[in-house]
Amino acid sequence: MEVNGQLALTVLMGLFLVAVAAWLARVENWRSYTPVAGGGAFGQKDSYGSEEKPSGVIRWLTTVDHKDIGILYGAYGLIAFAVGGLMVVVMRIELIDPGMSLISNTFYNSLLTSHGITMLFLFGTPIIAAFSNYLVPLLIGADDMAFPRINAIAFWLLPPAALLIWAGFFPLPDVIPAQTAWTMYTPLSTGAGAGNQANAGVDLMLLGLHLSGVSATMGAINFIATIFTERGDDVSWANLDIFSWTILTQSGLILFAFPLLGSAIVMLLFDRNFGTAFFSGEGGAILWQHLFWFFGHPEVYILVLPPMGIVSYVIPRFSGRRLFGFKFVVYSTLAIGVLSFGVWAHHMFATGMDPRLRASFMAVSLAIAIPSAVKTFNWITTMWNGRVRLTTPMLFSVGFVSNFIIGGVTGVFLASIPVDLVLHDTYYVVGHFHYVVMGAIAFAGFSGLYYWFPLYTGRMYQKTLGKAHFWLSMIGTNITFFAMILLGYGGMPRRYATFLPQFATLHQLATVGALLLLVGQIIFVWNFVQSWLEGPEIEDGDPWNLRQSGLYTAEWDWFDQKQQTAIADGGDPDDETALTDGGHVDEPADDRSDA
Amino acid sequence: MDAEPGLSEQYRMASPWPLFIALGIPIAELGILFSLFPIAVGGLLLFGGSVAGMATESGYAKTPWRGLIGVAAPLAVLGLAFMFTRIGLPNRGLAIVAAAVILVAAGVAGMLFSPDREPTY
Repeated sequence: MEVNGQLALTVLMGLFLVAVAAWLARVENWRSYTPVAGGGAFGQKDSYGSEEKPSGVIRWLTTVDHKDIGILYGAYGLIAFAVGGLMVVVMRIELIDPGMSLISNTFYNSLLTSHGITMLFLFGTPIIAAFSNYLVPLLIGADDMAFPRINAIAFWLLPPAALLIWAGFFPLPDVIPAQTAWTMYTPLSTGAGAGNQANAGVDLMLLGLHLSGVSATMGAINFIATIFTERGDDVSWANLDIFSWTILTQSGLILFAFPLLGSAIVMLLFDRNFGTAFFSGEGGAILWQHLFWFFGHPEVYILVLPPMGIVSYVIPRFSGRRLFGFKFVVYSTLAIGVLSFGVWAHHMFATGMDPRLRASFMAVSLAIAIPSAVKTFNWITTMWNGRVRLTTPMLFSVGFVSNFIIGGVTGVFLASIPVDLVLHDTYYVVGHFHYVVMGAIAFAGFSGLYYWFPLYTGRMYQKTLGKAHFWLSMIGTNITFFAMILLGYGGMPRRYATFLPQFATLHQLATVGALLLLVGQIIFVWNFVQSWLEGPEIEDGDPWNLRQSGLYTAEWDWFDQKQQTAIADGGDPDDETALTDGGHVDEPADDRSDA
Repeated sequence: MDAEPGLSEQYRMASPWPLFIALGIPIAELGILFSLFPIAVGGLLLFGGSVAGMATESGYAKTPWRGLIGVAAPLAVLGLAFMFTRIGLPNRGLAIVAAAVILVAAGVAGMLFSPDREPTY
């Protein structure tokens, strides 16, 4: 039986490799590699956009174009957002009632774990990469990323990562979902004790998380190289845009944080499978927390800095004036980047660590409020006396500022040791970080998605639906997460599927808010998909009338040129059969059928 | 932005290799972690072959053959370390060494038997 299993696996693996090789031989003309490596030198100087790419699905599987990869990241991020969101809807419905009613407590724990990891690693990081991949090369005047193929590898590591992280939910024999929470605290996550966390589902999740970290690191190296070496002649450090600054800082944080997570995860996998004792021995639990949070706190800023960049980019466009205190917004970004590595132990105030260490971490944590406040005041002063236009992207950006203030101020209280010791592990913490993660980060994501919608689709979204999406999200967010802050004051501990009846009203309120959020996001999906397919086409390169106020930027200039080029050569995107991209000229029949 | 549209089309905007490099890594990791010999070997072959293919495509190498051997060398070291040092995971080490041996064999065969003339157009 054992031998037969091995044999079957060998045959399957062999067949898979042969299929890959056959497909590669079909897609790649091995003899087409020439020093020019591309169609540009073959007299297609006036070509633009996608004409050098294969058509159909093959285009998306093989693309190394930063704009296509940006769109792939975006689609991936939004799918993950839907999955993570639906997971939490099930959890919130379960929490209407104090007892265990809809789902089992263990399934609740599984959803809780996956919701956190999905939202942070499969939605948060990729949706930021969507914006940065599409926009940074356009903003800095680069032809593409410094390493286009590495860029593609970084993206394609993510789908397997998602499958591995969600593997426990698939009907695989003997595999159950991880129930470690996203922090994966040891000794629970080492599989010790009488629990069920020695299951392979946890190993699969750890592998998936490791892959997503590898992907993020590759992306970060690419962005650092691109911003340092690929800037256009007219782009200097002095006039580098605010979004690229935040991406550069974020990439620096990723470079120092994610490899550490990767190493810690490998050590944890060794503990689980190969009998090492990094985290299962004495002090192992604290060691894991130190390593995890040394990554985990910078991760917060990895997720929030680029959204702050988007907001710093969008608010001036609809306020009719330039960003107030641009330099100080950049300095505060860099300051947050540096300080973010000195605050991790504020997640561990309740572990009984040395009080002197604890006090120093409290001081640095409180200090990080200063650059954050600098940004907040600069956003407000940018709008102050400005010619404010409340378009959907602007609404989401203003919503970001509002929610970030609540999320930030609750964070300042948590940074204080005595307050933290009372509120630690309560819903107050959950409310605090959801104000930042949903209320701020996701809002900035939506702001960017709406603001650049004409850029990447060539069409306009439906404004009324956009506003409905905003208001449902804003009200839903504040109902859900303010109720959580109150629950935390009341002493409701986090992570539980059941609770005492005294918390029922606030939990029900939070569920109502979550359902409002759900309705808002359904409207968003409808608006997004339908407008992409059928929205009114944009004919002007300046859909937001930015030229009027002197706030026109490079990416719209690129868009404008693309529009004009498309008009100049007849604007017929279907007429692209006879172009040279590695041998497709020989198979016109295939191209035509795809076109 | 540069005022010349079409400048960025001077290089290839499609490559089939990144997808398979990205697939090879998790397949190999799964195989090695769960000690599934064929999966480990297959994943490493997919990864190594794609790395060599991509190096050729992007112009870092004229042929993929030396690249295959280049990928095999560190794998062989890792695999031997798994087998003969205190790490003590001989089955997994054997899988890694086997993948390295196949990669080297493919590289040597390629160098010996593939036509080394420049293709004519």
